Order: sequence, then structure tokens, then C-alpha cells
Amino acid sequence: MYGWRGRIGLLVPSINTTMETEFWRIAPEGVSVHTARIAGGRHGTPEELRGMETASKQAAQEVAMVEPDVVAYGCTSGSFFEGPAWNKKICEQLSEITKAPTVTTAGAMAACLAAGGHKKVDMVTPYVEVTNERLKRFLKAHGIEVVKLGTFDMLDMFDHAKIQPEAIYRKVKETATRTGQAVFVACTQLRALEVVDLLERDLGKPVYSAVQATAWQAYDVMGVDPKITDCGSLLRKLSEPGAQKKAVKKLHQSA
Amino acid sequence: MRTPRSTDPALARIGLLVPSSNTTVEAEFYRALPPSVTLHTARLYLTEITPEAILDMVRDMEQQARLLASADVDVIVLGATAPSFLKGLGYDRELALKIEKATGKRATTTSTALLEALARLGVKRVALASAYDDKVAAIARSFLEANGFTVVAAQGLGLVDNLAVGRLSSDTACELGRKVDRPDAEAIVLACTNWKTMDVIERLERELGKPVVSTTQASIWAALRIIGSVPGVPGHGRLLRVIAEEGRAKQPA
Repeated sequence: MYGWRGRIGLLVPSINTTMETEFWRIAPEGVSVHTARIAGGRHGTPEELRGMETASKQAAQEVAMVEPDVVAYGCTSGSFFEGPAWNKKICEQLSEITKAPTVTTAGAMAACLAAGGHKKVDMVTPYVEVTNERLKRFLKAHGIEVVKLGTFDMLDMFDHAKIQPEAIYRKVKETATRTGQAVFVACTQLRALEVVDLLERDLGKPVYSAVQATAWQAYDVMGVDPKITDCGSLLRKLSEPGAQKKAVKKLHQSA
Repeated sequence: MRTPRSTDPALARIGLLVPSSNTTVEAEFYRALPPSVTLHTARLYLTEITPEAILDMVRDMEQQARLLASADVDVIVLGATAPSFLKGLGYDRELALKIEKATGKRATTTSTALLEALARLGVKRVALASAYDDKVAAIARSFLEANGFTVVAAQGLGLVDNLAVGRLSSDTACELGRKVDRPDAEAIVLACTNWKTMDVIERLERELGKPVVSTTQASIWAALRIIGSVPGVPGHGRLLRVIAEEGRAKQPA
């Protein structure tokens, strides 16, 4: 069976074209990705983001049948928008339906920043003002301060995928401050995975992306070392000696 | 790590409708697609390969196709064999048309792809190996015959539980393909997109000296042909190798 080491049930906003591609790109032998789409609009308005919570339940039913080892809810704003308790509720609902542990992008973001011991970070997003404010609030609830936020300020979520990796690279470099201990690039529709490794080398500090953080937590939960060497330090951590022996973190600890 | 695959939206995107219990077809598409083409999936609820379950699945199809259209895919493929031949002659094209009407995108189905692939290879007489039980296998046979092909031999594995099909090794496809072959068969058909076939096609073709068409392979071929200007894909049989020789496919009905 494909996915004999691990099957990932991936839920993406229907307009998303980046996350499936990046998940397959890094999937090692024996790991498969099975996608279902979350119905919703393309403008990331508060109504749309809230609606994804309901729509994700149908997508979870569709993906449950592959008997996934982990379910990944792949949308950053769709998991942080209404705060940590909302994110936790999404995890619980989806796990209930799929009988598998669930990771969300917002939860993975908080977890990877906590794992790195970062208290002050710089953020790059494609979001508009209201969403950026909610993001800061979510991180604050996790004890993380946003020092500087650089944004592409685009409402249309489909168009987020049109931002070239080079432009993301430049935006991260412009945004990174001396105080920020790390940079996180939010939004699973941004093609950041292609440049996180280069950015870490050029900035000399950790740079994370939404898709990367979600993948990190998904592989951690599955107990699979994907041996991904060129997509940032976070994913390389999965290959450190003893990484898989560490007790799998309580999933909702960070939610 | 796999070959880097760009997610540049300027490149081509395939939208794939997959039965929810299918664990194979996404993986087999990803392995075969050239780096310039990305795959985007939506799922249709399906537990069993039975006529009743399949009809329920089709009801969900237009809504799921619209979700794929929202990702602005270039083509939508109903990547399910039995669901697209279930009601006989013309049913596959009827479903493709429904998808096209619902989305404004070009669409095809696995069964349509199979018919076109056999036509492209110029074969009329086929030996049919499938994962199905007798009932669904008989429908597959009559679908091919209604479309002008002669099925000189047919054998199925007798499976109804779709997850069980996904658990089979590709050796089972190789063995059944070999077993069902007859001297008068011009090609072997391996039917069911949840059955791992892609890594045995080349071997089986060499061994039997005739084309082997799997429904997954035919679906990939049909999608790439609709996109057009795609180089041949080596390693998965004659059909995918010859794409480079094709011009841009004509618009579907």
C-alpha cells in the first residue's frame, strides 16, 4: 500500500495550489499524501475563515477513509483566526471524525516557535490588516511577541500562490530585525519552502514556513524521519539522533 | 527528496477527483507527472465498488469539481474507473460533460481515457484484468464491447472493498495481466485506479510484447494530452512515452 510508513490526510482550502505540491515534494519513500478540499471562498474574509471550520468537517470525512496516520489542517489563518481555543476545537473535531491525530498550521507554528525557544519573532504574511492583528493576538496568547510584520497585503488567497519565491526571499530579508530570534512565513499558499534554506543561510537564524511547520509536526506525530535536508533546519531536526524516540508531544499542548 | 516541483501557477495544474477510499491514484500520478505539472485532489465519498455506492458518489461530483475549479486547474479528471463506466455506453462522456458544465473547465474520466488510449494505440481486441468482482467486471466488459472493442479474455480479483484493493502489491497486477493474456489480444488492460499498476507496465509490455494500458496510466495520459505540449514520460509503458508525438488534443465534447 502506498503510505506504508505513514499516510497523511491533508485538508487544504479549495483554492490552495501550493501545499499539496510542497507536501508531495518532500514526501519520502513510504509516505503518501491524500488530499481533501475545504470548501470556501478565495478572499480570506472573517466570514470565509470562520466558515472553513464547518467545511473542514466534510473534508475530514472524505479523507478519513484512507485511514490516515495524521491529519493536517493546512491553513494558517483558518486555524488562528478565532484564537487558541478555536484551533483546539478544530483539532478535536477533525480527530473525532478521522480517528487520527490532527495538526493544524497555526498549532504547528506555535509549537515550532516554542520548540526553538523563540519569544520574539518577525513575521511575513500575505494578509490584510485584520488578519495580521488576529495573528499577533494568537501568538501573544502563546507568549510570543511579533517584533516586525512584513506583509504582501493581498486579500485574494488564490493570488498568494502567484508570489514568486524570490519575492518571498526579499520580503523576509527586508522584514528580519536584529531583535527577532526567528522569522516565520505564514500562509500555506505562499511558496516559501523553496527559499527557507537559503534564507537561514543568509540571515543566520531560523526561518520557518507554514507548510514546513505543518509538515514538521505531521512527521513528528507519525514518528517518521523523512530525511529532508534542504528545506530548513526545522525539518532537519526530524533526522537528529533520537528525534523519533522523544515522546510524541501531546498534540494539543500548544493549541 | 524528489525532483523539485515548482508550484508556479503559470505551469499546468491537473485537478483529480478521487474516490475517498482510494490510496493509490494520487501517489501514482505524482510519481509520473513531469515537474511542470502539479496535481490537486478532491475526494468523492466511496466505500465499496458496488453500483449503489457508486451512484451516491456521483451525486457529490459536481460540488467537488467546483472546489477543484476554484484552484483554477487546467483539466479535471474523474480518476475512477468503475464509477465512470457503470451505466454503459456514453456514461463516461456524460459525467465529463456534467463536470464541464459545472466548472467551465475541460474534463475527462478514467473510462473515457481508457477508450481513447486504446484507440490511440490502434488496438481492437483486448484482454481485461481488473480488481473487480464478477458483477463489476461484467459491466467493464460490456462497456468496452459497447464501445467497439472485443474482450478476448477477462479476469478479476473479486474485490469489492476498495481499501483492500489499495493494499495489494503491484505484483498482483503483473500476475493477472500475464494470466489473462491471449495470443489474439492486441493489448492488456489493467482496470481500477486504486490498483497499483504503474511500476509493472513497462515490465509486462516487454514480457508480453504488446501494449499494456492501465486505467491510471491512461488517465495521466489523457490529462497531459488535454494540457498539451507535454514531453513524453518514460518508464510507464508505450502510451505515456508517445505523448511527445501528439499535438495539442482537440477540445472535449
